[in-house]
Amino acid sequence: MKDNFRQSMKWFHTWVGLVVGWILFFMFLTGSLGYFYQEITRWMEPERPFVVQQISTEELLDTAQIYLEKHAEGADGWDIMLPNIRDQNLRVGWRHPAEPGKKRGKYKIKVLDVNTGDKVERRATGGGRLLYRMHYRLHYLSTNISYWIVGFCSMLMLLAVITGVVIHKKIFTDFFTFRAKKGLPGWLDIHNVLSVIALPFHFMITYSGLLFFLFTYMVLSTNLQTNEDEYREMRKEIYPRTVHLDKTNQAAKMLDISFLYQQAKTTWQASELSYVEMFAANDVNAHALFVRHETDITYNPDDEITVNAVTGEIILSKHKQYTVAAMIHNGFFSLHEGQFSGPVARWVYFFTGLIGSAMIASGLILWTTKRKPKQMKKTNGPDFGYRLVEQLNIGTIVGLPIAIAMYFYANRLLPLDMANRINWEANVMFISWAILLIYPMFRPAAKAWYEQLQLATLVYIGLPLVNALTTDKHLFNSLNKQDWNLAGFDLTLLLVGGCFAFAAYKFKTLQISKRANNDREIEKQTNRPVQVANESLLPLQQVNKEKC
Amino acid sequence: MLVLTSLSFSIMVLFCLAMTKHREQVLESEVSMLAVRFFRPFAWLLLLFTGYLSVDMYGWSIGPALLFGALTIATLLLILLLTYRAKIVPELAIVLSLIASMSIFIA
Repeated sequence: MKDNFRQSMKWFHTWVGLVVGWILFFMFLTGSLGYFYQEITRWMEPERPFVVQQISTEELLDTAQIYLEKHAEGADGWDIMLPNIRDQNLRVGWRHPAEPGKKRGKYKIKVLDVNTGDKVERRATGGGRLLYRMHYRLHYLSTNISYWIVGFCSMLMLLAVITGVVIHKKIFTDFFTFRAKKGLPGWLDIHNVLSVIALPFHFMITYSGLLFFLFTYMVLSTNLQTNEDEYREMRKEIYPRTVHLDKTNQAAKMLDISFLYQQAKTTWQASELSYVEMFAANDVNAHALFVRHETDITYNPDDEITVNAVTGEIILSKHKQYTVAAMIHNGFFSLHEGQFSGPVARWVYFFTGLIGSAMIASGLILWTTKRKPKQMKKTNGPDFGYRLVEQLNIGTIVGLPIAIAMYFYANRLLPLDMANRINWEANVMFISWAILLIYPMFRPAAKAWYEQLQLATLVYIGLPLVNALTTDKHLFNSLNKQDWNLAGFDLTLLLVGGCFAFAAYKFKTLQISKRANNDREIEKQTNRPVQVANESLLPLQQVNKEKC
Repeated sequence: MLVLTSLSFSIMVLFCLAMTKHREQVLESEVSMLAVRFFRPFAWLLLLFTGYLSVDMYGWSIGPALLFGALTIATLLLILLLTYRAKIVPELAIVLSLIASMSIFIA
């Protein structure tokens, strides 16, 4: 290998980053969207009603209970998800009794219209959940294979983060250094800045990501060190046991859930109920579990209150039994998913995720930028490897965001009664991505970058318009109804479109000034003026004026 | 969260002003070396205080997590400003820390 430690680390960082860079970019981007998966699902089900302001929790619980009594008879348990800042509709869920030969029954979830108390007929869609599940459960591959691929990439990412710190020579003196220069120094600064400012996040997200499928990756170690009983014991310690309350099959009259809630909430300071779980409904053994928004990353026993639904007394023993191992494990999960975060913190999570994606993208671009001068001098043109990397860069860094927009387009435009509609939403996304990966093969790199940036602008700005043409949940209505959840989605799309437009504009002006610089060089060497087309001179003059 | 981000910004500005190359970028007049020597310890003190504040506001586990998020966002903002609008950095740091301290007193 290379002569000294830092050099070999640099070599390692470069190639590890390159090999898994594109999958990591995919994982980071879809994962960042996962912080808003509930919001995305709500947007993708435009049949759901707008937010209804000023309705008390008790009224909502009553509406849910009436619906469940009527429709979820015979179910073991009920769930009532109250409207919150992330999903402003009332939702109820229940699990059907298991069919013979199966371990668990089917789980059904319904969105209720609080005005009518009835369910909302929604279109078939994968929603935000399908999109964020892709970041660890690669869509077309089998579960086991995706976990292994994801684990392999995450492990290399962890190594890239560590080696990155080793090879960064001046991590503290260059902490704030970002020189907006063209070419290599500029990209190196961007890569360094994006890595360093969010280093705690990058490390946390990669490390905790690896913990998710602990028993898949560490299978050898657990197999060698434990027998079956010990293994079961270990799993029990890590995954907290839920106290299960079975039906006794003796019917009993339950108290109203809203009444039970009034009993329960006296120990909480404010009305912060997140969801209610009902065990053994309409049975002697009926219990209601009230859960509020998380107030601790690991586990706060006070976030849950169990009430006997027949007598109305508060049960003091806790619903879940947490060991220390389980609390640490849960803590890492919660950190990874940001379950505890309020609205602002969620945006910070999302934004830091995007910083991570941008860091990976800048690393990939750095690879080509560094090799470009040498490759361009080759008589037969650049090598195949170089061209492939450039092509994959264009197709992924700009192509993937376009493909994600296509997923949203598919949601709005595919026929509502289509068979396999959910699958086709995802198919549209991956087909678009495949086209955008192949497209740069047939175009010069600079043109392909510019064209795909333009396309990205177009699709993102067009999306709120298509939304307005196909549904009544468009920006005008959502702003009017003060439904910030839906309005926020459309506004974010417009903002992303704006960013792509800016990137396209910048790219063009830089290309033109670069060409002009080249011409000036030739003029110097040959003492002969080079003709420049008028249209390319015009923006150049503007740029010069700005500089003055 | 916004309080934490505002304070983080001031912390990062102090750290950055402690470095000569960034001081030249940001400040037009010379600052006495005595004052400069206080920037870094003061930044550390403010960081300790913000850490305490985050724990006080959000508890021992969520607080530090949010603090790291706030530091990331604040640093990104500062770096972009240093490159494109370096001159407004001191004003913004003062305004943001005023808003932060006001909201602490009100709450």
